[in-house]
Amino acid sequence: MTATAVFSRELRFFLKQPFAIWLIIVATGLSTFSVWSGLTEVDRQSATIERLLVADAKDRAAAIEKESDFGGAAYYSFHLTFDPPSALSFAALGERDVFPWKHRIRMLALEGQIYESDAANAELAQSGQFDFAFFLSVLTPLFLIILLHDQRASEKVAGRHDLLVATAGYGQNLWRSRTIVRVSLLGVGLFLPFLVGALMSGVDTQLIALVFLVVFAQILFWTFLCLWASARPFSGPAIASGLLAFWVLTTFVMPAASDAIVERAIPAPEGGDIILAQREKVNDAWDLRKEATMEPFVAQHPEWADDAKIERPFEWKWYYAFQQVGDQAVAAMSNDRRVAVSRRNEMAGWFAFLSPSALTQRSLSHLANTDVGSALTYQHRVRNFHAELRSFYYPLLFKNAAYRAEAFESLPEYDPAMGSDR
Amino acid sequence: MTRTVVEARNLTVSRGQTPVLSDISFEVQEGEVFALLGGNGAGKSTSLLTFLGLLEPTSGEALVFGKSVQNDIASVRGKIAYLPEAATLYPHLSAYENVDYFLSLAGIGRSRADVEEVFDRVSLQQEARDQHMERYSKGMRQKTAIALALLRETPILFLDEPTSGLDPVAIDEFNRLVTNLAKAGTTIVMVTHDVYGACQVAHKIALLRRGTLVGSFEAKNGERIDTETVHAAFAERAVA
Repeated sequence: MTATAVFSRELRFFLKQPFAIWLIIVATGLSTFSVWSGLTEVDRQSATIERLLVADAKDRAAAIEKESDFGGAAYYSFHLTFDPPSALSFAALGERDVFPWKHRIRMLALEGQIYESDAANAELAQSGQFDFAFFLSVLTPLFLIILLHDQRASEKVAGRHDLLVATAGYGQNLWRSRTIVRVSLLGVGLFLPFLVGALMSGVDTQLIALVFLVVFAQILFWTFLCLWASARPFSGPAIASGLLAFWVLTTFVMPAASDAIVERAIPAPEGGDIILAQREKVNDAWDLRKEATMEPFVAQHPEWADDAKIERPFEWKWYYAFQQVGDQAVAAMSNDRRVAVSRRNEMAGWFAFLSPSALTQRSLSHLANTDVGSALTYQHRVRNFHAELRSFYYPLLFKNAAYRAEAFESLPEYDPAMGSDR
Repeated sequence: MTRTVVEARNLTVSRGQTPVLSDISFEVQEGEVFALLGGNGAGKSTSLLTFLGLLEPTSGEALVFGKSVQNDIASVRGKIAYLPEAATLYPHLSAYENVDYFLSLAGIGRSRADVEEVFDRVSLQQEARDQHMERYSKGMRQKTAIALALLRETPILFLDEPTSGLDPVAIDEFNRLVTNLAKAGTTIVMVTHDVYGACQVAHKIALLRRGTLVGSFEAKNGERIDTETVHAAFAERAVA
């Protein structure tokens, strides 16, 4: 009998089982919803960026026109920085739930501006978005367990097992062909909505193929696990219970435990602590002698040593110098945090090999550039851009340049692709 | 010259530490009807499952056409149509669909007319054939399973309590069917606790008690095996 004939027989057989068909329909529906949900979120993020870019330019133009010195213009000018969603991010929103993907920054101390929105999505950090990565990593195993756990046990209970095996010649061929049909239909049901979403979003073909491999690997793992379990001499409910226990363990318990272990093993300064330390430094500067600010500033920027004398009670160059000194004061903490986050991510990556769900989510996030690495790259771009702003304003402030709107023609503009090498 | 089709050679089968069949031997020739008689737990079904390769012998051999079942399972299964006790086919499929599916499993294609003809032979009601089997009585389900076994057209039939659930008329029809099949050369091994039914059709009867053969009878000179004799032996040896 040809493989096509076997497949066709089992397909016809499968299509006469209302419960199984409903299961595939529900899986397809959930996959479609997850893709739609991801696309909607990405559209929302893109629209937010577009809207803020326009509003940002308008506000900045108004500030430049209204102000009469460069210090004031810098103070009232906001600059939108953002990490635009990749074409594939609809499928795996990943760390975009946890790490901020946009900051409106000013010439003030930067570290506080970076970390002040760190805890904005605390709820989402717990549950995550219902995106394709969530559906694939968390819910797909459940569908596979339901479809495959009692292939043999249910036939034994119904009294058909021996007849089926005796008629089929090799029982393995029967279970294999049934498994292929069920898993293929489920695979098509969950991959097709992704494919439509990917084509709509203009995802690169190579990337689609890589996602397919991730989907394939996840399905393959759970299929083999279910087949192995269903071949054990236990009842269907006992097999299902075992598989569900494994699912809970690897999908929820293991990732939670590994997070706890990783956080304990690699301590990191909290974003809140960095903000607090920086604000204290900045606020204290108002009460200190001007030299107490300018000396550490000049130590870092000797090029302004000749222009660092402050003669009046308030000068913008002094104001921005103590903002920068605030950044300098927490630079080590901030660097420690970045290094720790990076190391935690690396260690979590190793732990993910104990959890197929975590591994699937991480793989998709990596492909979609929505992982921790991408979030850190975005932070790096923000720091670079802020440094450019300082490079633009400092000569104007320290040399007491006469205010003129034309100077802003060379005002740096944020480029989301800048420094994209991690 | 007849040839041995099914043979148990010092066959012992255990489930865990418990022996279910102990050192049994028998031979069934081509075109014979062989009945294994015994009470509950005697090891009758175990014998059939061993010949189907669904259980492995602890020692001894189960041979079909001289080949050890364990060495060539798929080939042996292809030669045997099996009717399990209380055959439960798929309730969400009709008799036609069930038969079509199981035949396809065996790699066999039969026309609708062929299937109709066999359904007629087993007296499965015409109007029921396209209905889902969940509406079938036990007897109708059994007739469908018998039809399936016949449609396989294998040289050997294994029947496990084949008349279970059939009414007296259907049992008579079934017995005639078995006799005719045997005359046509089909070798039939049936396990049953129905002494009368076995004596109606069998050329050989073996009594099985707790996995051991405790008696055997053979029809001589074209006559049936005497029911009274078998019944007495069954009551004395097989269920004592």
